[in-house]
Amino acid sequence: MAESLNHKPSQLGRSKIWTPHAIQDIQAKAELGHYQIRGFSTFFSIPTLDQLTFLPAALTRLPLEGYREFCETKTVLGGGKPDLVSQPLELDIPIYIASMSFGALSRNAKVALGLGASAVGTCTSTGEGGMLEDERQASKKLIYQITPSRYQLDLDHLRRADAIEIAVGQGAKPGTGGVLLGAKVIDKVVEMRQLPKGIDQRSSVRHPDFLGADDMQIKIAELRDATGYRVPIFCKLPACRVAQDVKIAAKSGVDVIVIDGMEGGTGASPEFLLDHTGIPTLAAIPAARRALEQIGMYGKVSLVVSGGLKSGADVAKALALGADAVAFGTAALIALNCNAPLYAEDYAALGTAPGYCYHCHTGRCPVGVATQDEELQKRLDPEEAGERIASFLRAVTMEATMIAKSCGKSDVHNLEPEDMRALTLEASAMTGVPLVGVDKVVAPWD
Amino acid sequence: MESVMDQVMATVLDADVLPPRYLNEQLRELMARGESVVVQNPRSRHNLGVALPGPGQVTFKGSVGYYCGGLSNGGVVEITGNAGWGIGESMARGLIRVRGSVGQSVGASLRGGTIVVEGDAGPRAGVAQKGGVVVVGGSIGFLSGFMAQRGKLIALGDAADGVGDSLYEGNIFVAGRIHGLGIDAVIARPTAEEVDDIEAIVAEVGFPLKPREWKQVIAGRKLWYFDKREGQTWLKV
Repeated sequence: MAESLNHKPSQLGRSKIWTPHAIQDIQAKAELGHYQIRGFSTFFSIPTLDQLTFLPAALTRLPLEGYREFCETKTVLGGGKPDLVSQPLELDIPIYIASMSFGALSRNAKVALGLGASAVGTCTSTGEGGMLEDERQASKKLIYQITPSRYQLDLDHLRRADAIEIAVGQGAKPGTGGVLLGAKVIDKVVEMRQLPKGIDQRSSVRHPDFLGADDMQIKIAELRDATGYRVPIFCKLPACRVAQDVKIAAKSGVDVIVIDGMEGGTGASPEFLLDHTGIPTLAAIPAARRALEQIGMYGKVSLVVSGGLKSGADVAKALALGADAVAFGTAALIALNCNAPLYAEDYAALGTAPGYCYHCHTGRCPVGVATQDEELQKRLDPEEAGERIASFLRAVTMEATMIAKSCGKSDVHNLEPEDMRALTLEASAMTGVPLVGVDKVVAPWD
Repeated sequence: MESVMDQVMATVLDADVLPPRYLNEQLRELMARGESVVVQNPRSRHNLGVALPGPGQVTFKGSVGYYCGGLSNGGVVEITGNAGWGIGESMARGLIRVRGSVGQSVGASLRGGTIVVEGDAGPRAGVAQKGGVVVVGGSIGFLSGFMAQRGKLIALGDAADGVGDSLYEGNIFVAGRIHGLGIDAVIARPTAEEVDDIEAIVAEVGFPLKPREWKQVIAGRKLWYFDKREGQTWLKV
């Protein structure tokens, strides 16, 4: 009996340690001599916002008419310091497009994101690779990201930005710089980033001219001065030591803090960093809010959350936990057509299929989103894709407002932790939201 | 260089009187008009002379703090004392001359123009440099030229340990002793043309010409591509 069991191929497949992926990973490293690199995000099972549920109004409070009554979605970021920021970032919805570079994404994808975001009154962000003129033209409001690599950091570009984001790190690979493999380092990218053509670019993680919080404070003052005390300064942090990092960033003088959870996506990353570094968005939001409250800066410094958010329900939960806005990265790319059931033969050539593709790193994106290949990116019409982005953002905004109205809120920003219950012990412990059934917080923070 | 010209021709701004924000506003306006400005009492304040335009010029009479001349698009800047971190960071065009020494990250991510330091430079001189020229009369500190992409970093004195770490196409020229190379940095002997070019730059920015033993530090290019044949190099990083 035992002998016959040994011959069943399913036996090793049952192992939770030596999974097919673990075996493949070891064999790949034995072949390559270095870690595996891939796009997308962690595939691990981690606690998510799905572990929260809303408690809409019944008899204790009055709901608004979800299908028809008005619910405010206007969002102001960086409005807490009028003497230092004369033009805070005003958005019609509490959702914008996360920082993703031209380089990782095609020109057409960047333009489509700008057109789509503009159509619904929100903004997008340059990401690491500098300001692409076509993207600036397509985007009514654009955040200019300053990363440690400082590719094409240009004073005129800074002054044409509607906000400036100092990138300290990202949720996908905290504490490590970006990766752009050679297939994507084409002429235009070379021109903007000033790299050798075709190089496997691995960006720096430390900023070249500031190291700690005290230096960053001076850097922030420099950026304000260079841009005429007009636009807000964002700071994008990977979700790690959230409580401490948020306090340091706030005290350093930033106007908006962006917390990027470990679910955050990427065009390319060492795979093990995706899976084994950072903390989930679910845990990061309440930690950030609490940190700001403890130093008396909640409401003065805006809080934006990103990392794995995919629906209006996620938006509503993030806002209820304390965010002022959220940023969509991967979800926006999927709305562009990422993993759409088109060009199946090209997915097959990458060894994958529509719905399963994470091959952004190869530069061979079958739908023209995460590529620099001229032919492939022709498959993405910016106007048409921009409309999909706009439709998607309208739909998720509708979802978020519908939840808010069901909870009796006439402004999405009025959602609060009390509007929710946690479905699991861990979510209750992480968020301070009472556990369903017992109506108690399982592990109070203080 | 307390010249009669300074006193007669230049507009004088006093950093003891004007906060940096307002001083910089005036400075930009004056320099955009091509005027010469003297800033008295800089007293190592940070962010003086940020984001300057050409074609004017400014002299800071004393020492400045962080990011002087940072993000500038032109102009001529002279600092008669020392300077703090990130002098001329991300500058696209222009000339900065520091009579004394500078702290960390002089010319960080420099894109164009020239920075001259008559004294020594601290760690990470020319870090992430993307163009332009940094000339240091004395020595350059730890990890100078880190990840420099393009441009030239020239040291007439020594280079501390870790010079040229993870270089792309940046070029580092050292006349003095190299105390240690960074990862994937190699020493090359510059060609006669390169030496001529470097010495022309050195002379042009006002250092005396004398026989120098130029060493060039360039990328070994082992970190440029993911390639298992370079496994030993990758283990270090």
